[in-house]
Amino acid sequence: MSQAELVPKKIEKEKSTKDHFREINRALECFKEKLDAELATSFQTCVRCGLCAETCHYYLIDRDPRSTPAYKLALVKEVFKKSISFSSRAAGSSLPGATVDELVDVLFGRCSLCGRCFLNCTMGINITRAIRIARGMLACLGLVPEGLASTVNTAVSKGNNMGISKEDWLETVEWLEEELQAELNDSQARLPVDKKGARVLYAINPREAMFFPMSITAAGKIFYAARESWTFSSENFDVTNYGLYSGEDDIAGELSARLIRAKEKLGCEEIILAECGHGYNSNRWEVFDWLRQRQNHPVRSILELIAEYIRETKIKLDPARNPEPITLHDPCNLVRLGGIIEEQRYILKKAVTEFREMTPNRERNYCCGGGGGQLAMTRFAERRIKVGQIKAEQIRQTRAKIVATPCHNCIDQLMELNKHYQLKVTIKTITEIVAQALVI
Amino acid sequence: MILWLKLIVGASFIFAWGYFIYLLFQTFSFSPRVYYSTARGEEKRGVFYALGAGLMPWAKESASRHLGVYLAGIIYHSGIFVGFIILGFLLFNFKINTHVRFILGVFTTVGLFCGLGLFIRRLSLRELRFISQADDYLANLLVDIFLASSFLSLYVTSFQPLFLIISILLLIYVPLGKIRHCLFFFISRAFFGRFYGRRGVLPHKVNLSRLSGEEK
Repeated sequence: MSQAELVPKKIEKEKSTKDHFREINRALECFKEKLDAELATSFQTCVRCGLCAETCHYYLIDRDPRSTPAYKLALVKEVFKKSISFSSRAAGSSLPGATVDELVDVLFGRCSLCGRCFLNCTMGINITRAIRIARGMLACLGLVPEGLASTVNTAVSKGNNMGISKEDWLETVEWLEEELQAELNDSQARLPVDKKGARVLYAINPREAMFFPMSITAAGKIFYAARESWTFSSENFDVTNYGLYSGEDDIAGELSARLIRAKEKLGCEEIILAECGHGYNSNRWEVFDWLRQRQNHPVRSILELIAEYIRETKIKLDPARNPEPITLHDPCNLVRLGGIIEEQRYILKKAVTEFREMTPNRERNYCCGGGGGQLAMTRFAERRIKVGQIKAEQIRQTRAKIVATPCHNCIDQLMELNKHYQLKVTIKTITEIVAQALVI
Repeated sequence: MILWLKLIVGASFIFAWGYFIYLLFQTFSFSPRVYYSTARGEEKRGVFYALGAGLMPWAKESASRHLGVYLAGIIYHSGIFVGFIILGFLLFNFKINTHVRFILGVFTTVGLFCGLGLFIRRLSLRELRFISQADDYLANLLVDIFLASSFLSLYVTSFQPLFLIISILLLIYVPLGKIRHCLFFFISRAFFGRFYGRRGVLPHKVNLSRLSGEEK
């Protein structure tokens, strides 16, 4: 598939009724193509008990019934009914249940795809997946909110979501390598790029290169201490995948497939993913379903690798170097939807003197509000900060000075919450905390 | 007349199961969800958890936050189950003694009050009214009437025809409305367990066992 084909097409604002009818039917076809028995079961099972309402951080803050997961599912169910019923498709030229604007507002603007409603649904309905598939249907109509759509487009056309050119990326790595050598006082310390036959291909969030370069150096320091054989790719280094949030499986599949191709090109054994919640969910789990391709190589989070280094004494940590109380924010895509739950705790207990859990934590943790593409969709920014109040209170209650989180999306949101709610904390990645504690 | 009603109950029962089979066929005419990634945990353990310990109120925030409602729901469903046992006794002319009659009566009565409580809750809460459909009210009322009539039929023989008529209506409605969840609930929970099991999220022990050493 060419890159041009992958760029979502905007529907023209003015079109004839016939064209509009055709667009709606195409969208319903998009929806129907993704249906499977599991989703169809979801639509048969909801009893609208409403017990899911308070599992959603949106509802907890705004108390608007439209924020309840049951309502969101009901909207998607209406689409489902219409997509499988020929008569209703022939009769109507609009999406059912609500106006298109409301569908966009509810499915994109009132959900961060955090999966908390799914985990807590008494019936076990995967509401999160249903909403994502419906987002994909809206994408067929060109209705992905602008910021999210442009982030996806940038990743498709430029190779990474920040649009960093290859030259800039290589210059950044070169500069950071010099920093690493100075810090380690070793001119042989490397941040290798395109090293053929390296054991590990390491993929980062491009935001690290643009705004948090020290987290790249921190990872380099850990790899150096563990004597790891690793490399970056000069072309495909982006761990993120906003196609997960826009619901566009073909685009999402292609974005993640690039990492797989880079691994194969360089002859690496495994892909190690930097601290990115949705990047982990996309590249560890979803990509193989999107590509309909059996997983034949290991994909792990850097947290799993660091935990392994500690367990096998490949690295030594001195917790006294992180004396301030630290709490942990569990990113939804990494923890609740990804299964990386205990590794970060194991690492932090080895790397800091005082670790304090938030309540609730692990898979029950609240979303920070930045997931689901919310950070990219500026039209929902005010709502995003409001729903972050729950996370802000969780942090405040720990009285920790540092918030560790293994996700750059979460870091961005937490930094905004820190400022807005005056939490007076420092936000760090786990890698940075480990690098600080490294005994070399 | 009783015999005819019993025969219609039997026909309704067959209709309900026939429609269920149709619904199952319709649902599973969509392709099964295939997972292409390598599992991190165990699907089977996840499914067992989802249909066992995962149903406990402390396993789900939605239930633990609303413990009263959750328990009312469980009692309500127990009452319905007992209501169908009473229907079975009536259909096959089983004689029941006073003690058994009392126990069955307690289940249906308490179940009925729980059902009415849930109905009032749905009416009184704004967000519940907002997400509710006619089906939600109708299904609840129909089941409540079923429970009331099952209780009355235990003690007053003249109520038995009414109980059979209500049972016919209920059996016809079961697969048509939301009560179909009595079948899909188990399937949905199994899918839930499969998802979280393979991703190593639930049950917790799978995840903990991954980390060896003193931090276990």
